[in-house]
Amino acid sequence: MTRVASENEIVDYVRAARESRTPFEIVAAGTRRGAGRPMGKLPVLDVAGVSGIVEYQPEELIVTARPGTGLAELKAVLAQKNQCLGFDPVDWTLFGGAPDFSKNGTLGGAVSADASGSGRLRHGPPRDSLLGFRAVNGFGEAFRGGAKVVKNVTGFDLPKLMCGAFGTLAVMSELTFRVYPRPSARTTLILRGQAPEAGFAALRAIWKSALEPSGLAYIPGAADFPGLGDVGEGAALIRLEAAARPLQEKIAAARLLVGPAEELEAGETVFARVGEGSLFRDNDLDVWRVTVPPTQAARVAKAINAALWWGDWAGGLLWIGAREEDAPRIRALAAQAGGHAMLLRAPAARRAALGLYAPQPPALAAVTASVRAAFDPLGLFNPGRF
Amino acid sequence: MLLAPSDPKILARRDSIVAALKKIVPDGVVEASSDLAAYESDALPSYRQKPLAAVLPRDADQVARIIRFANEAGVPIVPRGAGTSLSGGALPRGDGILMGFGRMSRILEIDYENRCVTLQPGVTNAAITRAVEGEGFYYAPDPSSQIACTIGGNIAENSGGLHCLKYGLTTNNLLGVKFVLPDGQMITLGGKAPGAGGLDLLGLITGSEGLLGVVVEATVRILRKAPVTRTMLASFDSVPDAGACVAAIIGDGIVPAAMEFMDRATIGAVESFNAPGYPDAEAILIIDADGVEADVADAMARIAIHVKACRGELREATETLARAKMWAGRKAAFAAMGKLAPDMICMDGTIPRHALPRVLEGIADLSKKHGLGCCNVFHAGDGNLHPLINFDAMKDGELAVAEEFGADILRLCVAVGGVLTGEHGVGIEKRDLMTEMFSTADLDQQHRVKCAFDSGGLFNPGKVFPTLSACIESGHMHVHGAKLPHPDLPRF
Ligand SMILES: Cc1cc2nc3c(=O)[nH]c(=O)nc-3n(C[C@H](O)[C@H](O)[C@H](O)COP(=O)(O)OP(=O)(O)OC[C@H]3O[C@@H](n4cnc5c(N)ncnc54)[C@H](O)[C@@H]3O)c2cc1C
Repeated sequence: MTRVASENEIVDYVRAARESRTPFEIVAAGTRRGAGRPMGKLPVLDVAGVSGIVEYQPEELIVTARPGTGLAELKAVLAQKNQCLGFDPVDWTLFGGAPDFSKNGTLGGAVSADASGSGRLRHGPPRDSLLGFRAVNGFGEAFRGGAKVVKNVTGFDLPKLMCGAFGTLAVMSELTFRVYPRPSARTTLILRGQAPEAGFAALRAIWKSALEPSGLAYIPGAADFPGLGDVGEGAALIRLEAAARPLQEKIAAARLLVGPAEELEAGETVFARVGEGSLFRDNDLDVWRVTVPPTQAARVAKAINAALWWGDWAGGLLWIGAREEDAPRIRALAAQAGGHAMLLRAPAARRAALGLYAPQPPALAAVTASVRAAFDPLGLFNPGRF
Repeated sequence: MLLAPSDPKILARRDSIVAALKKIVPDGVVEASSDLAAYESDALPSYRQKPLAAVLPRDADQVARIIRFANEAGVPIVPRGAGTSLSGGALPRGDGILMGFGRMSRILEIDYENRCVTLQPGVTNAAITRAVEGEGFYYAPDPSSQIACTIGGNIAENSGGLHCLKYGLTTNNLLGVKFVLPDGQMITLGGKAPGAGGLDLLGLITGSEGLLGVVVEATVRILRKAPVTRTMLASFDSVPDAGACVAAIIGDGIVPAAMEFMDRATIGAVESFNAPGYPDAEAILIIDADGVEADVADAMARIAIHVKACRGELREATETLARAKMWAGRKAAFAAMGKLAPDMICMDGTIPRHALPRVLEGIADLSKKHGLGCCNVFHAGDGNLHPLINFDAMKDGELAVAEEFGADILRLCVAVGGVLTGEHGVGIEKRDLMTEMFSTADLDQQHRVKCAFDSGGLFNPGKVFPTLSACIESGHMHVHGAKLPHPDLPRF
């Protein structure tokens, strides 16, 4: 394992790897290392040391930090100025069995894995927040994409590509985000005794309103999140945020739309767990993140018929715990619904066979390969992971 | 000003090219020189050139066949929506096919339950909102050109508008596209489900200025209209006070739906144009707050405190009519320039907001240096500055001076940590300034992405990138020093 602490050191490492044609694995805190195709035994480049906040200008709504910065650290600094990251970065605690679990996930890891929690509903995934970055490509060249201002269309929007690339395009060395004000008040409403169709319909009623919800999750009765209490067949959870007085108005408006929903004390904890996938921590189910058009959520969930599952993002995301034999059905159902099934956790052999996502149609696969080659022609970075 | 010379070998084949296009779209090929005049420029009128021919496909299949033909025949394609680009993005090539989307203007599906609309690329921006407003929805990105510009053009330019600080640019409101590649194959990117299921190519093609392929269908997000919107006008005796007020509002955690800045010169121009009744001031801010009633009341009360603390005067408007009047001057800012001079160029840099006073001083100095007037409007919320340079193209050399003035302004924007363009795109206008902002390694990386899609340089050649280098295909190896300088290309 080689530790680097600066962009220059990354450049040196990549140039040497290029010389010797030696692919390597990029690791920071390692909390998401279990996702994606196993890459076999490769040299490890540890980038956790490329860390620290470079520049924070609250009035410009911008923060620049190095990717090894811990999520918890950055969140704390932003909170001091009543701001937050828009994409609600989460640590996936479902990889709890891994030896590295005690570590706090990094900013770069969250961006690369496109890891956003329930709050994504309001301000979008990482790609809607990442304004600019610096990185080292497979030619061993340091380059930048985007910029450090909130509005920019100069040249290609390369920051988008970094989000969800699982480290296959470049080794990032600096990230600039747009940040958002932290609402001064927040609450979670719960509707109990909801079958999936009715529960998701209630979530969509709020989603289609002007209430700007920051979390809309459906929890079936079998998913036992601590703090929820008895939910009967299932519960619809609605998280609203605003300044204190407007929040009361939003709660009233939400009740007009979905009927009598009570406030849930443990709402924040439940939403955190929903995003982390924490109920999968103590079992060995395969874990899938299936995205579908929100109206398809109840139907797809029913057709998959998993022992343990729940929905987030107003139905746009289904967390599914499944068995080996369910895999083809899950992929097929997601594709039919116009969505994607990401295999987040499974034994290595299955991840090797199934990949993170289903294979793409040939024309799309070809462009994707060309774009990859435009960054990393020798396939040095996380080869085959995704 | 020089335009890229046409390739005589392509011009010599004009008849056969036109014949081939007619085979694909029998009723949609424009070839007469007088008819082609309609396409000779976009909203950057100082550059003009008639295309070899124009073709107006009716569906995605025709688009794909045209592209396949052009690729095989080695004839460049310039896509065109409504031709409102301010950066010359839709400027034709003399030896190229202009592909117009005017006949692909149908809304294909409105899906309220999934909050999205699927449409053809030639649908105008405003038509989306018109189609869904009956149900209380709208499409958020609202470029001032929205009654004319098309969703295809919006996607290519990643267009913004007055409300994008709060609601985002096109890229934040686009869910999916169908996209035709240079070999005529169609790919689907994104869709109604969240997430890409692979690399975010949808994000990449948005704002790619027609260089990577052609959008033949799009799915966009619609939003529920906020129940309450109110407008305030704050006037200030100094630019730094106005700038400080903007910083204070944002720093306080308020994200106004819109926040527009106008300087004294602009206020004067619009007063003599449509008399919106603005106060006599060095700078004014027009601010929209929207949301639920209490949200808006809360924001307005806090904004009022900041305006007062920054020595500003405040007016408020609640009624639709009064709000419209407050906005009337800002919305007429472009048109009002016609009172000051026959011609105008609109610059589009973004700066960190705190640099506003310094940049406006710098622009005033440059205005003296170049001897041309300049009015400044500013999307204050997101730091996007629109200096409007006044000149007279009939006067010898004045266009060149105006362009040099504009270039100096953009250099200043980059020097304070900003960028060349916040929403209008690079096109031909800012192409030669790209090196001010990006290093060789940065530009090489972007250029390789272009090659990954379009190694033959089929789409919109000559735009965005300052020098053209050949795409090295074999093994995707990058070769330093393979740059072919193109002295024939126009300098900014
Ligand atoms: C008065 C005025 C006000 C304006 N205000 C704003 C504003 O507030 N905010 C803002 O962002 N812009 C503004 N603009 C700029 C302009 O309207 C936008 O850039 C708009 O998106 C261009 O759309 P269009 O349909 O006219 O595209 P065109 O000008 O025809 O083309 C623009 C680019 O898109 C490409 N293109 C077009 N269609 C397709 C397609 N289907 N597939 C691939 N590429 C395609 C073209 O090749 C070209 O590069 C304004 C322009 C004017 C004249």
